[in-house]
Order: sequence, then structure tokens, then C-alpha cells
Amino acid sequence: MRPELKEYNFDWMLWATTEIAYKTLRGTEKEYKKMLNYMPYFRGLLDLFVLYGEPGIKFLELIKTVLSNIIKAHDNGKKLGMTTFCFSPIIFYAMDIVPVILEPLTVLPTVLWKRGTFDYMDYCFELGFTETSCSSQRGSLGAYLANLCEQVDFIVVDSGGICDTNANSFAFASSYLKKPMYHMDYPADLVSQKAKQYHREDFKKLIEFLEYQTGKKLDISKLRSVLKETIKQDIILSELEELQMIKPNPLPVIYNLFIYAGRFFSTGTPEYTELLQAMLNIAKENARSGKSGIIGLNEKCRAFFCYIDHYTADARMWKWLDQHGIAHIGCILSRFYSDRSPYIVDEEEAYKIETASLDSMIDSISEINARSPMVRTIRGPYDAPHMWLDDSIKLAKLFQADCVVYNGTPGCRNTWGMVKPFARDVEKAGFPTLIMYSDAFDDRVQSWEATTERLDEFFKIRRLI
Amino acid sequence: MKDIFLDAAINLKNRQVVKWKKQDKKIVGYTCSFLPKEILYAADIIPYRIRGINAEGMDIADAYYGPFICTFPKCMLQLFGENKYSFLDGVIITDGCDSMRRLDECLRKAGEDNQAILPSFCHYFETPHKSDSHCIEWLIDGINIFISKLNKHFSVEITNEKIIESVCEYNKTSELMHDINELRQCDDIYISGYDVFIISIAATSMPINVFNKYLVEYITELKQKKEHINNKKRIMLLGSGNDDISFIKTIEDAGAIIVSDNLCFGIDQHTKININNNDPVSSIAKHYLTQSTCPRMFGGYNERLKQIYENIEKFKVQGVILQNIRFCDLHGSENGLYETDLEAKGIKSLKIEREYGSKEDRGRLKMRIDAFLERLSNI
Repeated sequence: MRPELKEYNFDWMLWATTEIAYKTLRGTEKEYKKMLNYMPYFRGLLDLFVLYGEPGIKFLELIKTVLSNIIKAHDNGKKLGMTTFCFSPIIFYAMDIVPVILEPLTVLPTVLWKRGTFDYMDYCFELGFTETSCSSQRGSLGAYLANLCEQVDFIVVDSGGICDTNANSFAFASSYLKKPMYHMDYPADLVSQKAKQYHREDFKKLIEFLEYQTGKKLDISKLRSVLKETIKQDIILSELEELQMIKPNPLPVIYNLFIYAGRFFSTGTPEYTELLQAMLNIAKENARSGKSGIIGLNEKCRAFFCYIDHYTADARMWKWLDQHGIAHIGCILSRFYSDRSPYIVDEEEAYKIETASLDSMIDSISEINARSPMVRTIRGPYDAPHMWLDDSIKLAKLFQADCVVYNGTPGCRNTWGMVKPFARDVEKAGFPTLIMYSDAFDDRVQSWEATTERLDEFFKIRRLI
Repeated sequence: MKDIFLDAAINLKNRQVVKWKKQDKKIVGYTCSFLPKEILYAADIIPYRIRGINAEGMDIADAYYGPFICTFPKCMLQLFGENKYSFLDGVIITDGCDSMRRLDECLRKAGEDNQAILPSFCHYFETPHKSDSHCIEWLIDGINIFISKLNKHFSVEITNEKIIESVCEYNKTSELMHDINELRQCDDIYISGYDVFIISIAATSMPINVFNKYLVEYITELKQKKEHINNKKRIMLLGSGNDDISFIKTIEDAGAIIVSDNLCFGIDQHTKININNNDPVSSIAKHYLTQSTCPRMFGGYNERLKQIYENIEKFKVQGVILQNIRFCDLHGSENGLYETDLEAKGIKSLKIEREYGSKEDRGRLKMRIDAFLERLSNI
């Protein structure tokens, strides 16, 4: 790793960047414009947040709070738990644990800094971590392995049975950093009583682990309050999803990122509720006036991203969508399957939050986790009920997609193991489908310029725009 | 080396397979060491470990699998696509790792395109990634479902008695393998790593009672052997599964002898099951979830490292070769940790990445192995 990067902690640098960006917004417009000249690297992103108005600023505020909580956790007498994007942080918030979520912590500097997280990614290899692993963890993991962050106290991962590369990254971190780890495991089946019992048993053992690590018993009233906040969020989310089905889609393209990044970091917190509410206000206003959320253009085409988005510097993927009049109607990361979601066909496939008793709350969180992005969708064969194909075709139809785009990372053994037959089946269902070979977190694999050429080619050749 | 073992190690359709089929008996293929093969044998079916040896191209596999996938399951798919596994009456895919578990979909889809390549019995056998009580319960259920499906499809009746008999036969194999391993601990070694691998691979592709009979004879011959193998560096081989005996030969031809291993297809995979006669299925489930040394069982690194240290001492190992197939994240990462920990203890180790089945990188590997052995000579 370049020595200059070791001068400051990774998490502190991220926090400082967002803190400064947020303060910049508190000035007058003239002051703000002037300040942009002094921000060669992240002014594009900051300007993007400003462009999206209150939700953009709320999102920045949420990120700033998350990062501030991380760097001050130990000073505030709290434990830091390293975890993954598909683990719902509800139980952490209920137990006063500050979540350190690797994948969004890779995304942030990737969109924020021109240098991305390349140095941290490559540092993992210096320690013997495999170079073919998933870049989504590696970006921030490298900083933790280099001891350039507030030290985590323990690790929790819920990708056993879901994604080897994900679980393996955390297992490596646990062995290398010598931190205790609890890993949850999932069967391929989602809806059977047997599977629910499995989820429940695993979650109860997780709570025992967390109680041991924190030295505190689970506070039932706090858990109830976090879950009640989550219910509020699910209601707003379902409204946003309903609006997203309208043609033209009244949600600006970047809302998809705000929805899932906010959810990963802050489910059950008031900050996330405020962000969702701000987005809903604007989406409703757009819907009332029949306006598309796309900035500057009419909606020409609706794209469903069947896996993840692309996080190149300055969030250029969303700018590209705006510039081409392509509405983003969601990806695997932005669907959570609450019983209120408009795409639920049978109640078995959804989670329901019950706050009457401890047992019902444990069942609720374990079922929320079981339906987290990726945990739900790729736990079994892609063509099994409730799995990747079923979900993708259903969502593409409901949200009136014109095409389906697969974008991921070369580290995703699971999806690369099935994406070709999957894409063939999606095409058969009537949706032009693109398989992208870039890395969502690492432009060195395929530059953004080359990626846009592939996108341009697909959208033009398939006569989508 | 007995010809019967070599034949089984280098040919998919070996002589024992042909003989078995002539008796109109069944053979079912499986992809991972987590499949309780004892159940198949209890139904008088040969549990046949599917391999990817001698695949000469990847055109069929590439039509279904993406590019960033381990070449081991890809070679298996290729061989299925070329109808090389037409002698199988069934196939069982296990979620040993992500690349392997997706063979389920890729093979089924290839079977839709060309029905001739897919056996009539296909089963996805799921195994938890940890050994907590609820995981063992899940596996017990999984084994019982598997038994019911086999009973129905092959019109057999797998009883507890038959399972116990089968486990006893496999336990005999484990004892014999243990005898071989003891011979490898001596200062004077009479069996090469190459021969050990041939035996170990053969055990996965022929009727186990026949295998045991020949192995007893072979061990007797071995114990009477006068010539021992001299002046070789004693190596431990760890990492991704390996059923390619030419890779072992490359290492040993460079001046080493593999005295210990922990590989899928390796000798240490044959471990004894403590059977409870009243509930053999539970004994099997517990065994498979608690005795494995595969990194797919997340969080067990320290126990695995301890086992390696013990074996290094027991087998008087001078150096450790850590190899993984490209895109094998599980072994790739764990090898990185092993390398750091072993070197810190003064145990020389070599970490290499390879492709499965390809001979193209053999020259490169040989050069690195030569350099490693030279490093060991300088100690």
C-alpha cells in the first residue's frame, strides 16, 4: 500500500470527506459554487447529491452519521461489529452495537474518491487473501486488515449457504484479525416450516453470541422500538415501490441507491425514515404531475438490474442513465420482501414484523434476514420457486421493464455459475438481457468508458433507446 | 502398484465399472466428499466420484458456466456434454462450494439441450456449513429424503442394517488407509505419494469391497518390500481437490516425496464413522459435519491449522505445498493464512495457483516446485 495512505485512517478519511461535504451545503449557493473549485475529486458526486435536492442531502447526512458512529464507537462505550450488506442491522441497533458493513464501505470511496479503494483491495493480496475473491468486501476489508480503521470487536456474517466468497472474506478477517465470528447458515429452501425453524435456531444462537460479546442482555423494549421504526420504513418503501411501477417512473434514478444503501446502514433508525420520507414526497409530486424522475429527459426505456449497480467514480452510472433517458426500476439490492411490498404474490414469500413478544420479534428479524438481498434470491437453484429467475421475471413484468441488465463482479462465483442459462431464460420470457463483464467496484477490470460502450451497444442494437 | 488401482485412477470407465454394469447393477455419480456415499453402497449402487480428468476442451462447459469459475466443475460438465458419463444411472450435486453447486443448474440446462447426457436420477444434496445441533438435524432430514428418493427411483430398500453393513465396509477402507499412512510416517518410506494418490482415487470409483480386498493384498506386499525411497524432500500437500496424478508426479519427479496431504481425493478423506447401530443416519450426519477439514466449514481455521501442525510433526514434513485451483476462493484464502502461519513457525511453504486438468501450466509449476525444493535443500 502506498505509504501516504497509511497516514490517515480509512474510516476517518471517509467521515471527514462526508463531514466537509455536508458543511459545504450549509453555505450560500455562491459559497457552495466557490467551494466546488477546491474539491477536484468529489465535487461531481457532491453536485449530484445537491442536484437531487433534499433526499440527496438527507442521504449525505445519514452517511455522515453512520461514519461518525463508527469512528466514535469506542469513545462512546459501544462495540463495533463487522458485518455484511445482507445482514439486517436491526439486532445491532437493538443491542447498541455499531455496524461496520464492508460492502457499502467499499462503495462509498469507490464513488467518492478518484483512486477508489484500489490500494486497500490490493493490500488484501499482500496478506495472502485470494485475488479472485469478491471486490465488494476487499475494498474496505484491506483497510481493516491494515489496521487503518477503528478496530472491530467481533464479526457476524449471514452468507453461509448463500455466497462462499462473501462468507470466506469474513472468515479470513476473523482468522487474520483474531476476532470472534458468528456465521449464520442458510438452507436452499426459503418458505418451509423446517427452513423457518432453521432460521430461528440460528438467530437465537446469534443473540447468545452478541450478548456474550457485549456483556449485555438483549433489551426487548429497544428491539421493539427498532422494529416499529422498521415497520414505518416498510410502509414508505412500499409506497415508493408502487410509484416506481408507474410509467413514467417518478423516482429519480439514484433513489434506488439511496433506498438500499440507507437500508443496509440504518434500518430501524429515524435517519433512514427521514430519507425515505423525503424521497416519497418528491416521487409523489412527480407522479401527480406525470413527470419522470429522470433529470432533463423523458423516460425512453425502463431497465431492471437483476443483480447490482455499477459504482464507478462520481456515480457516473446514474448520470449515464439520466443522460440516456433510462429509468432505473430496481435491482436485487433494493427489494426486501416485506408483507407490504406490492410485488408479494403469496404471503409465504414475505416477512411480517410482529412485536407482541420476544419470540415473535426474533422470528420477525430472522425472516427479514432470510429475505435480505442475495440471502433470499440466490440461496437455491436459480430456477427454483422464489429464486433468482422467478423474482427477476416477476419484478421485470410488474415494474414494466423493457430490458434486464446483469452487472456484478468477477468475484461472484455464484452468479457467474448460472448467469448464462439465467439470461437465456430471461430472454425467453421476452426481456432483452445484457450480461456485463465489468467489476462494479473496480474500474481496473473494465474501465467505465469501455463499460459504457457495451451499454450503448446493447441499448442501441436491441432498439431500446 | 496394482493395475486395478491405476486403471481406476486414470480411466473414467474403468474395468470395475464395466464389470459392474455387465451385472446390470447401478452406478451413481457424486461431486463432493460431503455426500454420504455409504447410503448409495447400502443400496448396492457404486458411489462414483465424478471427475474432470482428460477433458480436452471447454466449449460445452463455457456455454453454460460463466468465465470466472473453477475449472474443476467445468471439466465435469464438459465430460457430461461429451457423453463420457453415459455409464452413470444417476448424479448427485452437492453444495461443496459455489462453483460446484451451480453444476446443478448448468447440468440440468445442458440436459434440456441434449437429453442423452443427463442420467434419469438427479438429486441436489444440501449440506450445512457448520455443525450446530440444528444443522445436524437438517442433514439427518436431508439424508432421509435422499434415502426415500433412492428407494423409489431404483426400487430398492435401504434399511438400517444395510447402512450399518455399508459403513462397516467403508470403515475397513479407513483402517487400511490408516495403515498406509502409518507407513508414511517412518524414516524409510516404501510408498510414493503418487502411489498413495492412485489408491485413494481408486477408492472413489469402484465397488468398495473389491477395493478393500485388493488393498489388503497390496499392503501385505508393501510391508514385505525391501527397497525404500531415499533422499527425497518430505512434502505435505494441501489445498484444492486434486485427482490428477500427473500433478503429483510433477512434484515427486522434482525430488520430493509427498508424505502427507489434506486434499479432497486424498487419503485423509477416508475417516472412520463411529456408528450407533440404533441410529446409523444420525451417526453419518454427525460424522460428515464434524470431521471435515474443508474450508467450506467456515470458522474452523484454527482447528485445521492445529491438525496440520500435528501432521507436520508426525510425518516429519520438511516443506508444505499449498495449491489451489484458480477461482477456488475457499482454499485460495486459507492457503494465504497457512503460508503466513507456517512460515512464522519456520516451516517452509510454497503457495501456488493452478488450473484443473490443464497440462499447459505444468512447466511453470515445475519451475516453482524446483525452486522450492532448492530452498529446502539450503536449510
